[in-house]
Amino acid sequence: MPVLHQPRDLDEACTLLAELDDPMVYGGGTAIQILLKQGLLFAENLVDLSFVPGLTAIEATATGIRVGAMTPLRRMETDAQVAGVVPLAAATYGHVANPRVRNTASVGGNIAHGDYRLDPPTALLALDAQVELRSAHGQRRVPVRDFFVDFQLTAVEHGELITAIEIPAQPAGSASSYVKLSSLGENDWPSASAAALLVTEAGRRTLRLGIGALAPIPQFVSVDVSGHDLETTVEAAKAAADPLIDPIPDVRGSVTYKRRLGLVAVEDAVRRAWKDQDDD
Amino acid sequence: MTETALREGGEEPAVGARWQRAAARGKVRGTTKYVADLPVPPCAQVAVYRSTRPHARILAVDVTQAAALPGVQAVVTGQDLFALLGERLLTGPAFADQPALAYDRVRYVGEPVAAVLARDLATARAAVDLIAVEYEDLEPVYDVETALKGEFFVHDVLRPSSVFGDLSHLRGKRDTNVCYEYNLRTGDVDAVPTDGVTTVSGEFWSPPVAHVPIELPCTTAWVEDDRLEILTTTQTPSYVRQAVADLLDLPLNKVRVRTSVLGGSFGSKMYDRLEPLAAALAWSQQTAVRLVATREEAFLLTTRHGAGVTSSMSADADGNIVAATADVAYDTGAFADVGPRITAKSGMVAAGPYRVENAWIRSRCIYTNKPSAGPFRGFGVPQVTWSHESLVDELARELGEDPAEFRRRHLLREGDEAPMGTVMHSADFVGCLDAVTDEIGWTTPYEKGEGRWRRGRGVAVGMKAVLTPTIANAVIQLNQDGSATLMISTVDMGQGSDTIMPQIVAEVLHLDEGSVRVVAADTDTTPYDTITAGSRSTYHTGNAVRAAAEKMRDKLVDLAAQRLGVAASDCKVTSGGVMSTTAQETVSISDLMHGHFGARGTTLTAEANFTTSWQPYDHETGRSRQVTEHWFAGAVAVEILVDTMTGRVKVEQLAVAGDVGRAINPTLVEQQLTGAAIMGIGHALFDELVFDQGQIVNGTLLDYQLPSVRDVPAKLTAHVIESAHRTGPFGAKGVGETGILAIAPAIANAVRDAVGVRITRLPLSPERVLEAMTEAGVS
Repeated sequence: MPVLHQPRDLDEACTLLAELDDPMVYGGGTAIQILLKQGLLFAENLVDLSFVPGLTAIEATATGIRVGAMTPLRRMETDAQVAGVVPLAAATYGHVANPRVRNTASVGGNIAHGDYRLDPPTALLALDAQVELRSAHGQRRVPVRDFFVDFQLTAVEHGELITAIEIPAQPAGSASSYVKLSSLGENDWPSASAAALLVTEAGRRTLRLGIGALAPIPQFVSVDVSGHDLETTVEAAKAAADPLIDPIPDVRGSVTYKRRLGLVAVEDAVRRAWKDQDDD
Repeated sequence: MTETALREGGEEPAVGARWQRAAARGKVRGTTKYVADLPVPPCAQVAVYRSTRPHARILAVDVTQAAALPGVQAVVTGQDLFALLGERLLTGPAFADQPALAYDRVRYVGEPVAAVLARDLATARAAVDLIAVEYEDLEPVYDVETALKGEFFVHDVLRPSSVFGDLSHLRGKRDTNVCYEYNLRTGDVDAVPTDGVTTVSGEFWSPPVAHVPIELPCTTAWVEDDRLEILTTTQTPSYVRQAVADLLDLPLNKVRVRTSVLGGSFGSKMYDRLEPLAAALAWSQQTAVRLVATREEAFLLTTRHGAGVTSSMSADADGNIVAATADVAYDTGAFADVGPRITAKSGMVAAGPYRVENAWIRSRCIYTNKPSAGPFRGFGVPQVTWSHESLVDELARELGEDPAEFRRRHLLREGDEAPMGTVMHSADFVGCLDAVTDEIGWTTPYEKGEGRWRRGRGVAVGMKAVLTPTIANAVIQLNQDGSATLMISTVDMGQGSDTIMPQIVAEVLHLDEGSVRVVAADTDTTPYDTITAGSRSTYHTGNAVRAAAEKMRDKLVDLAAQRLGVAASDCKVTSGGVMSTTAQETVSISDLMHGHFGARGTTLTAEANFTTSWQPYDHETGRSRQVTEHWFAGAVAVEILVDTMTGRVKVEQLAVAGDVGRAINPTLVEQQLTGAAIMGIGHALFDELVFDQGQIVNGTLLDYQLPSVRDVPAKLTAHVIESAHRTGPFGAKGVGETGILAIAPAIANAVRDAVGVRITRLPLSPERVLEAMTEAGVS
């Protein structure tokens, strides 16, 4: 059984992470508990952030919002400020697992899990979020587009913990949508997911796509769709997504099927975002 | 449907009333005590070393390091137990082929080979990791095709157990993986003229699936003086007592088996699960042991039989079904368990609930090197229903007939002889079909759609025999205050027996809701009952309970007649007590008993037995005039959407009907039908244990798929059909399995309707649907 440590502030947490053998940060615990129980994860020391103050704040910043790492996913889904500033994020967080998990899982723990099928990274990629990391050596920021390094591997270094995610506000007049397609039970992990964000800035129209579950890490691509209509935008989006799709075959589907499903997810997300834009 | 008439004096009858489920409050609030919550003596915690090979000889088991780990009390190997118990170590309901711990050979990945007893579970598990087993690999038999080639054998010799007498002719048979074969020969399918005959055929497959009850199996066993006490999650306490007594060569009165309400089971907690191992460990070590399966281990304990059916159905020019054939192969895994029973009881209905003149069925139970398959809600029938309900649908379409109307024309009616020779009674297939087709508006036109989403409707009918012969007993203890205690060995695992058995007592004795309590099964106090399974309890145990209540009623009447000095025929039990018309007096139960015994708190006891019999089927023809005590009849209709871009099937509406004879408690009947339907949706769309070289690849709840609330159709209705059974308690029969039989084919038939493809392999995963559409050129 791993030892549970409950630091009272960030410095103490960072010290523990620097000094303990085989430490692991414990956020909401929804992933860690399962992985430990199944023997897929080994940790001698768990550093629980529940008692560290200041990690559950959602604050407005000059460019968007800053979300504390211990903020429950459910708050991302229901908080009016989040829905107002980054509606794509609010919608995407609302698709994670089920309400019980969303009430427990934390924003920081979610991305630290690094699973390629996670929902939130797709939106965070499209929104160009930044991950705030801290260790005994200080603080640094990593763009979420550089955060997912390899299968189940993130940019979090030994001794580091996630303190917050900063998400730039969705530009005025933008439109967005998140689509999650599972292939077995409705409530299962997705076999393909896509977050689409349509942005018009300085006369240029850009489609930003975050895609999940379709490669060893979540993928991002941006496409200039200036002057495109819906159909050509859909085609451009699929053409841009296609090379990024590198599915892992499993009980949920073959490579061929997941690829096909991935392109459906992209198309659906683009069409819904387009509709969202028309509705505004 | 019958309306329940109020009884004399405006009293509401207990039978037919919607009494609240017993323990509902405790279950919702978390105060109900399940087996693992009940107090037991301090125990050694047990962890199990499991085989890493699908098929291998065990050359050596090195437990030195494990035994040396601080906190470890003992490490017991299969060899240790074999040295002690000899071949008694092999148990099983049909074949004595299942060792509590493997001692000479392992037959599936995950088979227990050694057990560690330690002061805590973490230590026990750490010690398991230190056990080293040396194997010599044998050729594995992964599937029924390989098994039937007969090159390599999972067992060298067949060993029928003493439980089922009719299997004794198989004793000593060698060089086969087929442990049982059932054949049905009705008429002569080869003699059917081919002129003007339309035949449809297919190769159908239902994969193995897991039961996944929420409550995990848990067994605690300890020695008390010179006897063995077992507290366990089981549907079969009477069976477990006998099995353990045989295993340890103890008299039955030295083995006590207790259970509690179960947190679901669906067939997973019966016969030989954790109990033989726990008993052997506790007795051999003379200590208390506790085994709790992890969720991952539970996937290895038992599964539903994967089954292949190669079948056909033919109609003549007039549209009469003239022939049906089915070659059924049940994959029973490493141990027969109850597979031979499933093979016969389900094989015999593989032609479907139709008037079929000529039928040929071969149904085989086949060993493979996989976890053992056992009973699962439906007892093998959903696998053959998958075949006959797909075939009959296709046949109707070939003939240009409406699939529901075609079935209606050919369904067995009261008094008809079914293909296996038994005459039908209380099996209203037509009533069930009518109810579900009416509910979804079968005859009203609908748009299939031309865009991405296509709409379709499907229907299917199911037929299953109740387990026969079986034995039930009931003891009622009436207390002087007018409350009653009911002693039965039926286990309430969510089906509601603790609610409806009291309703039967209350109906006879005119007692109120809440006045009859059921004692949890305890072989020291509750009488023998074959098993709580196969939807048999309402009828069998219900009849025993009713008979016991009637004996109690007679006793009360006699006491009242004595007391009032009137004839017994003048007295009857009413809600206020026993009433004499002549004396114009009613004596309450409490006064009556106080008067008789002269003390408060006294008890009056009555007991009854109910046993059913059958005529064993002929071994050549598979026919019997009475193969079962009664039938379950069910029907399902669905309306679905198919996403032609992803292949995803969405069930929009589902109606399920079951003929229950008489609903003792309509709410519980509706809930059984509904629960079975939801479970069936999982089996239809995604439930599947996936194996790779004999190893389960999705044996965790991260990967294994079960329906969630989001998979439940927007509209799901349950329809109670009551075609009273002449010998059922108040006409009643069971309902636990009825709802699940026809779900998968109803959905597949709707897919056929929506997008024109016939899929014969379950589950109907989106990938499979899309592949079938691509192959058929449907876009």
